[in-house]
Amino acid sequence: MKEMKLFLGPQHPGMHGNASVHMYVDGDIIKKSFLLPGMLHRGFEKGMERHSWINNISLIPRVCVVEPDINEMAFAMGVEKLLHLEIPERAHYIRMIILELARLSIHLMAYGGLGSPTGLYTLMYHAHADRNTILNIFEKITGHRVYHMYIVPGGVRKDLPQGIEKDIHSFLDDLESRYEEYRDLGINNPTVLARITDTIMLPAEVVWELGVTGIGMRSAVNKAYDLRKVMPYARYDQIEFDVPIAGYSDAKTRVDCKLQEVVQSIGIIRQCLAKMPEGDVKVPIGRGQSMRWTVPSGHVYSAVESSRGEFGYYIVSDGGTHPYRIGVRGASYPQGLLGIEKYLPGTRLDDAALWVDTMGVCSPEIDR
Amino acid sequence: MTNSMNNVEFISNLVENSYKIVKKEVVDQYQVSFVVEKEDVHSLLSFLKTNGWKQLSYLSAIDWIDDNKFELVYIVFNWDKPVYIQIRTLIDRDNPVMNSILPVFPGCKYYEREAHEFFGIKFPGNPDFEKQLILENWDDMPPLRKDFDPRAYSDSKFAKREYTEDFVNLNGQKSKQKERELQKENIIKVRNGGKK
Repeated sequence: MKEMKLFLGPQHPGMHGNASVHMYVDGDIIKKSFLLPGMLHRGFEKGMERHSWINNISLIPRVCVVEPDINEMAFAMGVEKLLHLEIPERAHYIRMIILELARLSIHLMAYGGLGSPTGLYTLMYHAHADRNTILNIFEKITGHRVYHMYIVPGGVRKDLPQGIEKDIHSFLDDLESRYEEYRDLGINNPTVLARITDTIMLPAEVVWELGVTGIGMRSAVNKAYDLRKVMPYARYDQIEFDVPIAGYSDAKTRVDCKLQEVVQSIGIIRQCLAKMPEGDVKVPIGRGQSMRWTVPSGHVYSAVESSRGEFGYYIVSDGGTHPYRIGVRGASYPQGLLGIEKYLPGTRLDDAALWVDTMGVCSPEIDR
Repeated sequence: MTNSMNNVEFISNLVENSYKIVKKEVVDQYQVSFVVEKEDVHSLLSFLKTNGWKQLSYLSAIDWIDDNKFELVYIVFNWDKPVYIQIRTLIDRDNPVMNSILPVFPGCKYYEREAHEFFGIKFPGNPDFEKQLILENWDDMPPLRKDFDPRAYSDSKFAKREYTEDFVNLNGQKSKQKERELQKENIIKVRNGGKK
């Protein structure tokens, strides 16, 4: 049969973000495929070298569009490591609330995104409606809906507004009450189930070969390899939560793990709200005009657990007012680039969109 | 997780007994960095992989233009003994060549392609390190080198937009063009750290 070249994305409901998967198909079996990034390259790593440490706060959330808070957290953690700075206890808890709310929002969006490749848009609308409620909460806390610029080196930008606990609790109760409904819409739905069961397997050997982290890794190797557990940052060591794991990784298992993480995130936010102490939320990282703050020289790598896996910032300072070099380790590098090139061939054409969705491929963090 | 400081000591002893370490820095209880000679990188990486540091987290380079060197950075991670290990090595900047670590960590393929694209470092052994990845039809020096000037590049690449006159002012007000230019200059001054 004759081979044919097809494109998935950038304009395709199953492709999330501005990247394109080029596929050579024979019938509907993929023979060869690769991801073509670069449509969203904005030169952030060069741009960060040309901005001062404080100016960069407005630049870093833009690295990953749907999940900006992990960028702020990784950058802030790196700068604090270089400065040997201890931040106030309350700031840790506020950071965790923000990070877990962001995790809820991205998990809902990704789970809703499962609706588009499987042709079930109801799920997507429900998920986006709930994400909108989270964005409303973010707007009350930070003043922004998507890019918050809230977690800064030295703490958080300002304290939580009065009465926000009530909003968060009512949202969490609402989400929890409709959790089973969500499962019925997506993962228990026979139409979706037929598409996601036993497709796109990810054996443990492939995980180690590619370097996949996050849900993809945990669902394959059956161990709680979550950075929040393995090397707890913020105050995750004082919070009780489980890490969903599985021994066999197909699209269904990964979606299932994602949904179980939603329950864990709800629990973490509730515990944080209960345990949060009173006090300051920020310490200044320097003296004088903030544009001239300097950071001691050194090389540091700081990583946090994002919804797609380990998300890291490599920060090099030469002691000046500007960073010397900042490198971003996007969590979707292994599964997005090498995984699509090596392990997508052999699957069927309609599984390509499911690969992108259930593995978690975020093109803005590949391009940067 | 309670004995993670021991993990740093454990791996430091292990590495220092078998390899010549130029410089060692302990960042915190979860991170340590070793600066090694260029020749030792491959054997050290495979040594670490055998000892459980199975995941390549990051690979990139730093341009130390004053010393005329590139510094390559490899970061590996062990999920059972949570320690990030940075392995850094200095290579010549005029002829930057480093053998690929593809046989040790197959996941490095695209990191090396990116390092070639942004720094111009050659990685023989990686079959397609020279293919373009992100920058399309790039015709200048690799952009993350310190002597690359984005302003000069965009000036040479794109036509300069000049607004000599302000937009038509219906109410007959005075043009605010000059004030805006002054404001812009001030912003650039502040960005340069107050240098005039």
